[in-house]
Amino acid sequence: MNATPALKRRSFFKLGIGSAIVLALAGGTMALMKPGLVDGKLSQPARLVMTRVAQAMLAGTLPADPAAQRQALDAVLQRTDAFFVGLPTHVLAELDQLLGLLASAPGRRFLVGLSTSWEEATAAETTAALKGMLESGTELRIQACQGLHDLVMVPYFSGKESWTVLGYPGPTAV
Amino acid sequence: MSNIPDPILQGLQRGWKVLGGKHGALPERLSCDVAIIGSGAGAGITAELLTKAGLNVVIVEEGPLKSSTDFKQLEPEAYASLYQENAGRKTKDKGITILQGRSVGGTTTVNWTSSFRTPPETLKFWQDRFGLKDYSVEALAPYFQQVQTRLNIEPWAVAPNENNELLRRGAAKLGIKAEVIPRNVKGCYNLGSCGMGCPTNAKQSMLVTTLPYALDRGATLLVETRVEKMVIEGSRVTALQCIAVKPNAAPAHPGGAVTTVVARHIVLAGGAINSPALLMRSKAPDPHQRLGSRTFLHPVAITTAVMAEPVQAWTGAPQSIYSDHFMHTQPVDGPMAFKLEVAPLHPVFFGANLPGFGESQAALFRQYPNAHVTLALMRDGFHPQSVGGKVELRSDGSPLLDYPLTDYVLEGARRAMLAMAQIQFEAGARMVYPGHELARGTSTWAETKAAIEALPMKPLLTRIGSAHVMGGCGMAADEKAGVTRPDGQHWQLENLSIHDGSIFPTSIGANPQLSIYGTVNRLAQGLAKRLTSKEVALA
Repeated sequence: MNATPALKRRSFFKLGIGSAIVLALAGGTMALMKPGLVDGKLSQPARLVMTRVAQAMLAGTLPADPAAQRQALDAVLQRTDAFFVGLPTHVLAELDQLLGLLASAPGRRFLVGLSTSWEEATAAETTAALKGMLESGTELRIQACQGLHDLVMVPYFSGKESWTVLGYPGPTAV
Repeated sequence: MSNIPDPILQGLQRGWKVLGGKHGALPERLSCDVAIIGSGAGAGITAELLTKAGLNVVIVEEGPLKSSTDFKQLEPEAYASLYQENAGRKTKDKGITILQGRSVGGTTTVNWTSSFRTPPETLKFWQDRFGLKDYSVEALAPYFQQVQTRLNIEPWAVAPNENNELLRRGAAKLGIKAEVIPRNVKGCYNLGSCGMGCPTNAKQSMLVTTLPYALDRGATLLVETRVEKMVIEGSRVTALQCIAVKPNAAPAHPGGAVTTVVARHIVLAGGAINSPALLMRSKAPDPHQRLGSRTFLHPVAITTAVMAEPVQAWTGAPQSIYSDHFMHTQPVDGPMAFKLEVAPLHPVFFGANLPGFGESQAALFRQYPNAHVTLALMRDGFHPQSVGGKVELRSDGSPLLDYPLTDYVLEGARRAMLAMAQIQFEAGARMVYPGHELARGTSTWAETKAAIEALPMKPLLTRIGSAHVMGGCGMAADEKAGVTRPDGQHWQLENLSIHDGSIFPTSIGANPQLSIYGTVNRLAQGLAKRLTSKEVALA
């Protein structure tokens, strides 16, 4: 498979990160990276990443009640796995690498700018970090944030629960 | 349960020869007079004319055969089954998301029916810069007329939905002319679901017009089958090597069976991006390095408004009003021109295309019934700083378009957002959100104008889309300047024609389907004459 733009060494150097971390990640030690996808579905670490990202990106849209929110998030993650089935292999390869990178502590720190673990990150912390990616001026970070945005929004709006939030009545029967 | 008859199911029952996917195993080898690669706008017109001339035709389509029974007006299914890359095909730097079709009927199965002849200034540019002397308004007129008759293209006679009316109303307040869009529909139910496949067969796409014509006359259609490679010997294409592919475009049987199609003449009609990619995979001669370059997209800038009254942009004919005002406010090779239209809004399209995220977006989601999105289709390919993109191949042979967004294009996007926002405020907008990651919603024209003028118009931050792919196998009168001759034949390969949007030397400057139909109508009539000595016409 082709190296994705996300993993070009040149891009890492542009971020001004300590070379030890850069080499550890970009030097092919995939051992540091957890898998992003397993059997074409979100790995457990990737599920945690996407849960936190969805909580931030859908803040104010997901139900506030914790139990209802958990249910809504599970539905989004389920639809994310279903969404993967239709994606071309080159996109899946990129997502596998991106999610694996984000799930690892060094990747989370320098790509997202989040020092707290995903487990402990609050919606506010994650939101600030994601906004920072868009404002970073770094192509790699903006691409990554926009990729995450698609991965949250397409599965969320593919579900009929979103129609109630939107006020969409559904298609006209013919 | 719908009572609408499905013309594809009826055709299959009548004995249409369709193979691939669930329709039957692909044969090891097929012979025919003409093999047509793809089944979209150019392929359909070509198939009808060549079968009319008595030729034995095989059509090879990489997507599935889906029809009105399958079209449930639901985005997730539609995007997964009818579009390239799940409706998420992106340029190399991810700066532009491209909507392109991938099913029988090609992009005509999922387009929004807008039908415009090639603008005169575009044809003049082709005549002057590419030596295409026969591409005049007068010479092409009868071919366009035949298509308009054949596909029932007429200005939309029903009242525009509010989504479109707002464009007309806002523009009128500024003295900007907006007009009615001609549509290729017959008995349209005014649903607004064109982009998910027409569930009533009102849309006169290739799926329900020219392809049934050809299939009724004995053409063979292979579906879920991709031409991986043309076998080229000297100056001839001697065979097509085809494989079965899965819905996500991966090979169905890696390292497995290949179907060989042998034909006297090949018509390549896979569309821009795909057609150049196939020629590259086949190592087709390209002595002047023209192949894949000058690929154009009509890059689209957007602004989202929240109106005081409900818009309900999900319902009603999606596009019925347009304005070409900003196509003529500068010279043809000056600052970027743009055509204004609106977009239908269904949940995924609306939610996924809004920049930003979080609480402020949550408020906007709840305004969906009052949301209004204006589109500016920017006319690329006419200015020295607008050379479009270049097609490359990934290691698996799949196509990748490298289209860097230059300052020229991004300044065009800024001017377009200013024009659209002003029109939306004149139409009664309470808030306008420019399509840019760093833009906030603003509630007055003055604030919005200042905000747009201050935005850093950088790639990725400026949200750009595309629904029109053109060029990459451009026509030219001189072999050094193009891939395709003015009569549609490949400059170096004597039994290959290219009949799709990839032959356009620039972008069109209007929604391209009618340009493809009209141009290919003439090209295919010429081809039919060369192959059979018969004169055939579309209508």
